[in-house]
Amino acid sequence: MSMLPHALYSRRELLKKSAVGFGNLALLSMLNDETQAASTKDPLAPKEPHFTPRAKRVIFLFMKGGPSHMDTFDYKPQLQKYDGKPLPFDKPRVQFAPTGNLLKSPWKFKQYGESGIHVSELFPNVAECVDDLCIINSLHGTNAAHGGALLKLHTGSDAFVRPSIGSWVTYGLGTENQNLPGFITICPTLAHGGVKNWSSAFLPAPYQGTPLGNAAVAAEQAQIEYIKNGFLSRKVQRKQLDFLNDLNRQHQQQTGPNQVLEDRIGSFELAFRMQEEVPQVQDISGETEATRKMYGLDEEKTADFGRQCLMARRFAERGVRFIQVSHSDQKVQWDQHGDLLKGHGKNAKEVDKPIAGLLKDLKQRGLLKDTLVVWGGEFGRTPTAQGKNGRDHNPEGFTMWLAGGGVKSGIQYGATDEFGYYATKDKMHIHDFHATLLHLLGMNHEKLTYRYAGRDFRLTDVAGHVAHGILA
Amino acid sequence: MTMHTRIRTQFFSFGKQFLSGLLIAFVVLSTSSLSAAEKQPTQQQIQFFESKIRPLFVKHCYDCHGPDEQESGLRMDSFQGIAKGGKAGSLIVPGKPEQSLLITAVKYQSPDLQMPPDDKLSKQEVKDLTNWVKMGAPYPNADLSLLRAANEKGKLDLEKEREFWSFQSVKKPALPKVKNSSWVKNPIDKFVLSKLEQAKLTPAKAADKRTLIRRTTFDLTGLPPTLQEINDFLNDTSPQAFEKVVDRLLDSPHYGEHWARHWLDVARYADSNGLDENVAYGTAWKYRDYVVNALNNDKPYDQFLKEQLAGDLLEPTQDLTVRNERLIATGFLSLGPKVLAEVDETKMEMDIIDEQINTIGVSLMGLTLGCARCHDHKFDPILAHDYYGLAGILKSTKIMEHYKKVARWHENSIATEAELKVQALWDRKIKYENDKLAALIKSENERLQKTGGKDFKLPAKPEPSYSKAAQKQLKVLRDKVAALKKERPELPTALGAAEREIVDIPIHIRGSHLTLGETVPRHVPVVMSQQTTEPFPKEKSGRLKFSEWLVNREHPLTSRVIVNRIWRWHFGKGIVATPDNFGKLGAKPTNQPLLDWMAANLMEQGWSIKKLHRMILLSNTWQMSNEWSEQAATIDPDNNLMWRADLRRLDAESIRDSILQVSGGLDLKMGGSLLNVNNREFVFNHESKDGVTYDFNRRSIYLPVIRNHLFGMFMLFDYSDASVLNGDRASTTVAPQALFLMNSHLVEEASQRMADSVLTQTSQSPEQKIQQLFLKSYGRSPSEMEVSRSLQFLDEMEKDLQSEEADSEKRINRAWQVFCQSFFASSEFIYLK
Repeated sequence: MSMLPHALYSRRELLKKSAVGFGNLALLSMLNDETQAASTKDPLAPKEPHFTPRAKRVIFLFMKGGPSHMDTFDYKPQLQKYDGKPLPFDKPRVQFAPTGNLLKSPWKFKQYGESGIHVSELFPNVAECVDDLCIINSLHGTNAAHGGALLKLHTGSDAFVRPSIGSWVTYGLGTENQNLPGFITICPTLAHGGVKNWSSAFLPAPYQGTPLGNAAVAAEQAQIEYIKNGFLSRKVQRKQLDFLNDLNRQHQQQTGPNQVLEDRIGSFELAFRMQEEVPQVQDISGETEATRKMYGLDEEKTADFGRQCLMARRFAERGVRFIQVSHSDQKVQWDQHGDLLKGHGKNAKEVDKPIAGLLKDLKQRGLLKDTLVVWGGEFGRTPTAQGKNGRDHNPEGFTMWLAGGGVKSGIQYGATDEFGYYATKDKMHIHDFHATLLHLLGMNHEKLTYRYAGRDFRLTDVAGHVAHGILA
Repeated sequence: MTMHTRIRTQFFSFGKQFLSGLLIAFVVLSTSSLSAAEKQPTQQQIQFFESKIRPLFVKHCYDCHGPDEQESGLRMDSFQGIAKGGKAGSLIVPGKPEQSLLITAVKYQSPDLQMPPDDKLSKQEVKDLTNWVKMGAPYPNADLSLLRAANEKGKLDLEKEREFWSFQSVKKPALPKVKNSSWVKNPIDKFVLSKLEQAKLTPAKAADKRTLIRRTTFDLTGLPPTLQEINDFLNDTSPQAFEKVVDRLLDSPHYGEHWARHWLDVARYADSNGLDENVAYGTAWKYRDYVVNALNNDKPYDQFLKEQLAGDLLEPTQDLTVRNERLIATGFLSLGPKVLAEVDETKMEMDIIDEQINTIGVSLMGLTLGCARCHDHKFDPILAHDYYGLAGILKSTKIMEHYKKVARWHENSIATEAELKVQALWDRKIKYENDKLAALIKSENERLQKTGGKDFKLPAKPEPSYSKAAQKQLKVLRDKVAALKKERPELPTALGAAEREIVDIPIHIRGSHLTLGETVPRHVPVVMSQQTTEPFPKEKSGRLKFSEWLVNREHPLTSRVIVNRIWRWHFGKGIVATPDNFGKLGAKPTNQPLLDWMAANLMEQGWSIKKLHRMILLSNTWQMSNEWSEQAATIDPDNNLMWRADLRRLDAESIRDSILQVSGGLDLKMGGSLLNVNNREFVFNHESKDGVTYDFNRRSIYLPVIRNHLFGMFMLFDYSDASVLNGDRASTTVAPQALFLMNSHLVEEASQRMADSVLTQTSQSPEQKIQQLFLKSYGRSPSEMEVSRSLQFLDEMEKDLQSEEADSEKRINRAWQVFCQSFFASSEFIYLK
């Protein structure tokens, strides 16, 4: 029985209206269903990019703390040779902390794949995928402290509150699955900018990242806030929702036509579906033994990050636009000011297998071709020693790598000097990195703007240049 | 072209039309020095150009800025090209190498602009170029006036700029004539009705009394009216009934709590620093309480501003409470987010100043002054010269104790007389013990000396030689002193401003402290200072002078901006739809006479905010209903002219507060801090563990505001970001809000409390209980149909729960809880008609 004998819309019409684009389409058709645009009012409805995109979604594997490039993907034979000698040129005007003489890498490098790229023994599994990687050795930023560098990497600004790159991407492209958030960040760090690193700042709220747990929470326990009802069964809640809808429609009828109130009714239906779907995505019980092994779920050291990577794949295949996975523990994870050998050894061990697993899995499922995988930290580390056996922050030159989504594979792009201090060849500033990333997603970074406080803002501010050299 | 080049040249290609340093040079250069620079070059100088400079251009510049390519629109192979400059503006200020883009670029002074990009010129080459610019850029057969023309391009025509509506001082307009004068309750109605009549619209009928008291109570206090208050109003049939309600609400302490929150949005209030290192602003709550009190006491707005900008500099007062209050008020300047671990200390300092300028500009004047940090404002007549005039004032103001990472902000002592007395008492106690200690040491030393004889030299550490008893006594005394020191209460402090060394600062070309231009005297923006004011005092920062200028009657923006903000907070949209931007890119007022009349009136009424509220609320404009009209909606679909009341969602705080209030769980205690992290301690250091809890039943304004990690429920319902000031909160409708209302502990608990409270009324029938719930939640009785639908729902729910819950009493309780929750989640609960 309804309280609304003369409702403005029939129940069916209303459901149809509020659920346009939310339909329960099959998984794969959902991925291909960009044309199934929701009502133009829906801020998350898929949008046409500026030009044909090379990648449709992003998985960002963020290594918090600043992994050392000279010890991973930027092989420096000269550094080995001149171990203990002073750096033969000036250190930067602004340094985070004083450092001493050159410190060689404690790890051996080997050439891998057809490309013959050098990778250190820290990443034996990722090294097997080296022919799929586009390694950028010439990244550079401006901030030598974690907080500033994290914000710079995630928002393009280390001094002001700006939208996160994931927010820009969902603002520009919408998202493909309306039952899931468009921008998800798994186990993010709450330190060093915290929420600012996934906040939408002045962009509308629907574009903010949805955190799944945080760095202090095990991946297995990570959840979206309020997604679970601990006190009502699904059946009871459904009935409650029907009653609520009656109340809301009754109210709406008294206020004249009102889009917001109609959207609101739709939002409860969407929330109901979301709380159904999110746990399904997170539930990996249906994954095969082989898959679980591939991500290292069977080993204690790799299980946590492996689960994050596997969830990332599951969100990706269900159409989430931007997924960030963070390797961040309760300290600053990759921040080895001292005891590089132990710290980096432990860190690499935790992520190497899961990352390789993710790459292989995406590839075998045909997802790698339109998913852009990004690996990196907020800066690199100095080739000079801090203390006896550590390395300091170094934003002057560092490495990130990309895979999939329209980038050349099996290449190294750009370079640092012979010791790895400064980016020298084909330098890629963080702004250029952002511009390139947007380009791969089919967006012109100069056109992706939002007017706020009387000015058109961009992710790349007044800078940024697409690195055409890495486009496939 | 390499990637490298591209990055660098990007800065040229961005259209910075008015390069700050160059323009300022123009502003301050006298005509005579200009013509001096235009003197025709000597043969020697031409020789110098041909032998040193031209070859240098050919070698380093022509590739990208020559006949084949003109990166960023710059061409260096002709004098016209050099004089014209690129998209970034002019290259050369003749005679002033330190202000010439060409020189700062080749010197690699700024990381953003370094030319040539790949190889820095040799020292000699830079020296030659510098000399060449010093000479006035001699070039064979060149028309040197071209250089001047290029530099003049950005000159402002101040008289013309002042014609813009918001830069003209406020004149009180005459009241317009209207046809339907019987509708008019006060001048506001005349202005509104006049616009409506011009558009052939009529105002909606008056709202019913229930709607009106609900709307107004939420509007002024952020809380729903109690049943008693509703009944009193319904039963009061006097013509002053509503006036009494408004006065009662304005006198309520909850008014200050609710409206302080509005101000805190524009003051970007937070209890933590945010940005890179998130440490607790453990004394910020004192500023918050100051704002609550200021509003409750109807502190005149001009005084309110002066205290926040220069409370420490106001005329001296004997009253310590007043002095402390003013010191606390200056917290406004210090509350912003700061990059505390910025390695470059000079940059940190300038970033903090920038944050302050931006906040002052936007919150008090609706101007994005921050834009002028790197270049003259592109749209508004604010010069970089003006920006650094203000920056000098703030640089002369102490906000930070030091800038070493992690930097430490300044706090003022705000001890009361009594606290100082107590402190003195403790100090006396400590001194007493210390004296005893010293005496004992002295006597023991003397004893040693005596027994040791003439040649005895007291060892550096004589204590081990003391007598056992004396050593024991020493320890006792020392422990006592330590204990006393530990026990001695800390004197209270509050973050805020003080004076420091007074300086004028140079323009930072492109915002960088590495490329400095001309030093600018401290001053207020030229476009808004009608007459030339006397220079800022040498011995004072000038904050007081600045704040007095701001609240001067002639200031075109201060009164308009606050009136518009208050209107926005009442009606949900401003007369100027962009309350934070009154510049050229902001919206134009939909009813400027109304805005100006209210602004002038505010100043005439001694800047009383409460009088302004009263006038707005007693207007018929406020008291209209939400009645829909097809015809009006066709003419004015967005209701810009105000033909009816808009439906509005409650803000995050009011949603939470009313859920707690209606369920009988709200603790109305006022003031103080709920932050469980000590001042200056990390909220999050490198761990992601959230040390802050929000599990309090106090009003929302008292919950901690942790930048980077706001209370989840607040974020969902469009709370201010707390880092960027915001006078125009959004009102979004997203699914996570529904998740909160469906699944959160807070709502579950409240609905349980509500269910328990009606179920304990055992004498009431279910119908009466339902009646009560409707009254509590919506302030109205249910219709018959609503009662029967509710009964049916409860009945079905109870049946459905049979499979889950065997105990029938518990089942019934659960069914009522589910029922109550539906109210909190319903649109009628969180939308005001």
